[in-house]
Amino acid sequence: MITMNTRRAALPILLIALAACGDDRAAPQPIVPASIAASGGTGQTAQTGSPLPTPLTVLVTDATDTPVPDVVVAWSVVDGGGGVPATSLTNSAGLASATFTLGPVVGQQGAQAQVSGLTGSPVVFTATATQEPGGTDLSVVSGGNNVPERFSSDLWVHGNYAYSGTWGFRENEGNTLKVWSLGAAGSPTLVESIIVPEIGTVSDVQVSDDGQLLVLSGEAGTNGGIYLYSLSNPAAPSFLSSALVGEAGVHTVTLSTIDGRLYAFASRNPGFPEEEATDPALLIYDVTDPEAPTLVATEVFPERDYGIHDTFVRDGIAFAFVWDNPGLVIYDVGNGIRGGSPSAPVEISRLITATNGVCCGPSVHNGWWFHNPVTSERRYLFIGQEGAATIGSNSSGDIHVVDVSDLAQPHEVAFFHLNGAGTHNFWMDEERQILYAAYYNGGVVALDVSGTLSGNLSGRLLSQVKPGGTGNTFTWGVQLANGYLYAIDMLSGLWQLTTE
Amino acid sequence: MPDVVIASRSVAKQSRGLPGRLLRGLRPLAMTVPLLLPSLARAQSSPWIRVGANGVLLYTFADPVPRGRSLAEVRLVQPAIMVHAGALSNRLRLLSTINFEGLTMPAGELTPGAWGEGFIDRRHPHTYLHELVLSADDLLGGIDGSTRFSLAAGKGFAPFGTDDPMVRPVVRYPVNHHLAQILERLVAIAGVRTGPIAVEAGLFNGDEPERPGQWPKLSRFGDSWSGRLTALPTASVELQGSYARVHSPEHRPGAGTEQHKWSVSGRWDGDVSGKPVYALVEWARTSEAEGFFVFRSFLAEGAWTRGASRLHYRFERTARPEEQRTLDPFRSIRPHFENSILGTTRWTIHTLGYGYRLGDSSTRLDALPFVEVSYGRMADTGGGVFDVRSFYGRDTFWSLEIGLRLSPGMPMHRMGRYGVAQDTADSGGMEYDDHHEH
Repeated sequence: MITMNTRRAALPILLIALAACGDDRAAPQPIVPASIAASGGTGQTAQTGSPLPTPLTVLVTDATDTPVPDVVVAWSVVDGGGGVPATSLTNSAGLASATFTLGPVVGQQGAQAQVSGLTGSPVVFTATATQEPGGTDLSVVSGGNNVPERFSSDLWVHGNYAYSGTWGFRENEGNTLKVWSLGAAGSPTLVESIIVPEIGTVSDVQVSDDGQLLVLSGEAGTNGGIYLYSLSNPAAPSFLSSALVGEAGVHTVTLSTIDGRLYAFASRNPGFPEEEATDPALLIYDVTDPEAPTLVATEVFPERDYGIHDTFVRDGIAFAFVWDNPGLVIYDVGNGIRGGSPSAPVEISRLITATNGVCCGPSVHNGWWFHNPVTSERRYLFIGQEGAATIGSNSSGDIHVVDVSDLAQPHEVAFFHLNGAGTHNFWMDEERQILYAAYYNGGVVALDVSGTLSGNLSGRLLSQVKPGGTGNTFTWGVQLANGYLYAIDMLSGLWQLTTE
Repeated sequence: MPDVVIASRSVAKQSRGLPGRLLRGLRPLAMTVPLLLPSLARAQSSPWIRVGANGVLLYTFADPVPRGRSLAEVRLVQPAIMVHAGALSNRLRLLSTINFEGLTMPAGELTPGAWGEGFIDRRHPHTYLHELVLSADDLLGGIDGSTRFSLAAGKGFAPFGTDDPMVRPVVRYPVNHHLAQILERLVAIAGVRTGPIAVEAGLFNGDEPERPGQWPKLSRFGDSWSGRLTALPTASVELQGSYARVHSPEHRPGAGTEQHKWSVSGRWDGDVSGKPVYALVEWARTSEAEGFFVFRSFLAEGAWTRGASRLHYRFERTARPEEQRTLDPFRSIRPHFENSILGTTRWTIHTLGYGYRLGDSSTRLDALPFVEVSYGRMADTGGGVFDVRSFYGRDTFWSLEIGLRLSPGMPMHRMGRYGVAQDTADSGGMEYDDHHEH
């Protein structure tokens, strides 16, 4: 029975289909737009008064989802007071676009696309407008030319004290931790110099969040490693312990609290000579008991290359900056997305950033993972490229912006290049969405990193200052503290800057 | 059974006075090796071996050295044994040099201005196997007429630049050693010579040694190359120009920067008014890190010999990189982990020396007591934090070297010349009036 019914039904359907085919060949029916939908440009962020980086786009289709060209789309602003063109026409792919320039209102703004009678109309787009960071103007307040006997290296400021390292050989070895008192107006005064024996450079300094512990890294000597000091008296750090790695030394060390324990992430240099020495490695120490640091993990980079230069640890994610090969390496060290922990880091992904024509490769050196409080995004990782340099004179290397919204698939989206100078360490004013970068002979640079970052960011340079002046500036690092920006300069020492 | 010989110099002056008596006293020692040896002439037509040795007992005083001090020391430098062999009418040649500096001067030789292989203001010790190269010459026989084609392979010098300073009259190593020579690599060299023109091209590993016992990194063979064009318009004149592209010489794993090197030189080694005269003028340039760093050198040196006396002089102006040093001010940080230097210094150095040859052909032992004085000026060029006055206390230096060179058996050859280039390899400008063979 079923068979018979099916056959009876099939005949008229076949006849209709044939007739329809005959009609198509004879006279095509006009395509009638039936629906409209967003195709691109949703959810963007930009400064107030500036255009969104990606145009708003809609797709117009007919009843069979075929794109419909030549449809007039009407655009209008629905929130925030920005601007869009009044109309645009769909192209052969059925797409119509409009550039949305945000209005002056910080926060959510909106625009819409409309075609009367179509399903889905109007299409509403929202965007986030951020405050224009204008007013950033770097200038010197005090300090400078205060470490004449040594070259300075890294800096950390905590409370009313600053701590800086020294580097190489000037009139003396760079084996010293400098302790600075910051006066009521923030002006630095040297109060103590602590010698670290048998090293040639104090290459990195950091203070724990609670201000109780200082860690430094030492290299260029036989006692390379990390050194821990108590800051029970912040004016006079007292030695607690060390974890030595020998002549290879440690290039940088980063403190991070994970699951209630304090860890030091140390970047061990490649040893020498090759056959008899250790490979470069990320060494993770549990320093919860700072008198007994315990090595809990070793992540070796057998490529040897130029080794691991720095780490940035936040939210249980560790970013390791490992020069040309393997470049950027991202680990879960307690975040949970891959089940990693400080004692068992789990690699999430790797990325080799672009060379940008800078000698002599990606030279992935340092970074900062930007947590944007305005947009709640954790999208961008800023990476410093340390190109060729003559220390004290000239340098090279760009800032690379990597989109890490998907930590498993980081990809480079933007860069910043400063002619005649190369970047070094970073600090951020995340509230104001400003990246401060030490730029060696370029001094200190302030960069607007609000909104969506794409392509060449040269237009986002807000301010630049050479604290010691031309010929006396080779800035290693910066830190925002107590309302000032402190800059440590290899040639001219510690400076207090204002950003207003 | 191949003949075994030690080359002897053809004519010898009578040794004089106490030194002569000393040499005569050493004669039994020197003669023990030649007992193994028939004649050199006979060796040329049948398989042969030559053996020689060299060593310099050296007192050096330098002022200043790093950190503004002065320093004096005694070392045995350039201790080497050379073994050369030939067969098939010299179409097959073996050159080898064993160097013992790793034992006698593991911390290097005090030499203001010298740099390379992690040493600075000290000349590094060479690797134990300084040179071991087998070459096959005139491979096509008469097919290519008078043109000769050769292949050479082994561990030795890339076909680039001028002679190893060890075989030149001035004992003090020039600052430009790492600009003007490429040595101790695995090399494969093809050469063609027609008339007075020789062309060589070589493949090698870019990594330079990190210590005396280290072998070239086999996996890097072929990552670097060089070519040298040599013209020999007369028996005494040699002109050469060469180019090399050397990958990551100072970072053995291969992540370092690349060097582009050029060398041009003119060399005289012959008689002037019947007396042996040696002269060399060279220019070298190394561009590194895509041109970010450029180092240039000009050097001129000569030796004039009259009887047993020899006077030599060198002028050099060479730029060198200043690298971050370790706590030992004579060592720079290795391996590199950044592409940066502290600056560039230019060293302008005059070196004047006098030597007096002792010995004669019967001893088969050359002995050359000598004295050498150098005066130099250092200058910062091109910016950077390195400050000559801070580091050395002043911007001039002088050094005194007093030594005794002993060379039993075969004299040192011009290292780094293989196959078709080996015709010119027998003399390193060390000839004496009494055994000059031209």
